[in-house]
Amino acid sequence: MSLPRARCLILACGNTLRGDDSLGPWLAQWAERRFQPESGVRVLARQQWAPELAEEVARAQSVLFIDCSIDSPPGSVRLLPVEPAVAQEGLATHHLGAPELLALGRELYNSLPCNAFLLTVGAGSTALGEDFSAAVTAALPEACDRLEATVSRLLSGQEPQEQPQHP
Amino acid sequence: MSQTITIDPVTRLEGHGKITIMLDAKGQVEDAHFHVTQVRGFEKFSEGRPFYEMPSLMARICGICPVSHLIASAKACEAIMSVRIPHTAAQLRRMLNLAQMVQSHALSFFYLSSPDLLLGMESDPVARNIFGVVAAKPELGRAGIALRRFGQHIIELLGDKRIHPGWVVPGGVTEPLAPAKRDEILAMLPEAYAGIAMALEAYKQIADTFKPEIEVFANFPSNYMSLINDDESIEFTDGALRLIDPKGNTIEDGITASKYTEVIGEAVENYSYTKFAYYKPLGYPEGSYRVGPLARLNIVKSMGTPKAEVELAAFKQLAKGPVESSFYYHHARLIEILYGIEKIEQILTDPLILDKQVRATAGVNRLEGAGQAEAPRGTLNHHYKVDENGLITWANLVIATGQNNNAMNKGVLQAARAYVKNGKFTEGVLNRVEAVVRTFDPCLSCSTHAFGKMPLALTLVNADGELVDQVIR
Repeated sequence: MSLPRARCLILACGNTLRGDDSLGPWLAQWAERRFQPESGVRVLARQQWAPELAEEVARAQSVLFIDCSIDSPPGSVRLLPVEPAVAQEGLATHHLGAPELLALGRELYNSLPCNAFLLTVGAGSTALGEDFSAAVTAALPEACDRLEATVSRLLSGQEPQEQPQHP
Repeated sequence: MSQTITIDPVTRLEGHGKITIMLDAKGQVEDAHFHVTQVRGFEKFSEGRPFYEMPSLMARICGICPVSHLIASAKACEAIMSVRIPHTAAQLRRMLNLAQMVQSHALSFFYLSSPDLLLGMESDPVARNIFGVVAAKPELGRAGIALRRFGQHIIELLGDKRIHPGWVVPGGVTEPLAPAKRDEILAMLPEAYAGIAMALEAYKQIADTFKPEIEVFANFPSNYMSLINDDESIEFTDGALRLIDPKGNTIEDGITASKYTEVIGEAVENYSYTKFAYYKPLGYPEGSYRVGPLARLNIVKSMGTPKAEVELAAFKQLAKGPVESSFYYHHARLIEILYGIEKIEQILTDPLILDKQVRATAGVNRLEGAGQAEAPRGTLNHHYKVDENGLITWANLVIATGQNNNAMNKGVLQAARAYVKNGKFTEGVLNRVEAVVRTFDPCLSCSTHAFGKMPLALTLVNADGELVDQVIR
């Protein structure tokens, strides 16, 4: 099965029934409305990133991963480059991280995107529910701006500007 | 002093389970249990819901085999409605169920078990995963990933979603098949055929190197049960159930969904949340049986498709009667993938496959209904009762993992006795005991959702509860 080669693949992760974990699918929906398919932007949202996504990742010119972060302060928006990294012991084969997907794509298809970045928003709560926490709700405009600017720069062949780390 | 070894959680399974190995005072294995530690409850909280919601509700039980739950549930609802669904709807559902079988078997073989099979039971646990397989056998890794994507993509094409499609409804399916989608699936077939041919060849090359494991991986006589067609060919969606004894003789045939509870009972053990199904006339545990790929291939006389037929003939040569070692679940799984691809191709060339009549409609015409289907890992039965308004008053589900429960426990004990000697165990021993459970590909999960990474801890505790030894990975 030949897969379409995206100029920019937006690959979001999250569970829409787990509070702020639905941030990824929410931003993916926003991106689908914002970017037309003709622009070369392809948007995928999954509950988990699994190995069968490796080919899409490997074939894309650039990839923007989107996920919530349980390690960041609630509501903090971050953009970081992602490098391929082979999984450590105890790998869960049902779900992979962005570095592992890149590494798997490189191993299997001998290809890597020119740019790979991870956009995260710090989660306030991932308890059962369909609502965002107040912190993530307040961060949505910034996350959308960041997403739009990043994709625009990736499409124009420029490196996105990484966000300074918050203290 | 007696001791206990605990493997918690068991890794590379669908869901969360635990293994306990009890040692006697001399350090020899006395008993072993495979515990399913998740609580379900779908039967209870579906009470009061309209029956036509049941397929969508029940599909949420599982993220790996939701299609089987959709189909068994829809069939139970159709028994309540007293309708027969259109031919095209039945064919489309059959294709959906086969696509799910292909993707689930690909996940089981390539992602969960091939690290053991291709890299070795004693190989470095750090690399014993899909990355290790990819590094050692990249072509096979690509084939496995492509086969899983093949099944998932068909589900997505038919049902618009790859995990919980809402396309299957009581009475049929919501939308007919579009010609473009049929053509897209047909175009995917050559790659799928090439992938499974490669996997079968690779399996056959390494199978003989696992003779010690074949000897003790749940290798014992048992009964078997699966759906079968009237012409004795394999069936996943319709047909009726057949039970055979350890010698291959039919002991019960033509078991319809409504007759199921007359012949199948469920026992409870205090160490697991999963029940233990058994054939009532033989009682528990003597009436225990195995389901899934090994059972299906032991029962059927034909695959009904040319390439799989050749593979079945070779499989039947492995034993004079039923093939007993659960290690051969792996082999059977690959043959079923081949069958699934062939059968999907056959279905797509059905002259009525694009027909627009795909749904029958009716209200409540019976107050009780049952439906059954073959999930990738074995037979699944849904049984509902409703009031006159169609609200669920009672529901019972018998899932494949419950039907294999006794065999899994006996298999764990058999392997533990073979490998754990004098209270000593290594990581490779731990992995082999887990691998017995993996052969059955049990599905323990309510969903595929998980946060973080769970450690695998094998602990050795003495009779006083003191930690004697521990391995964590």
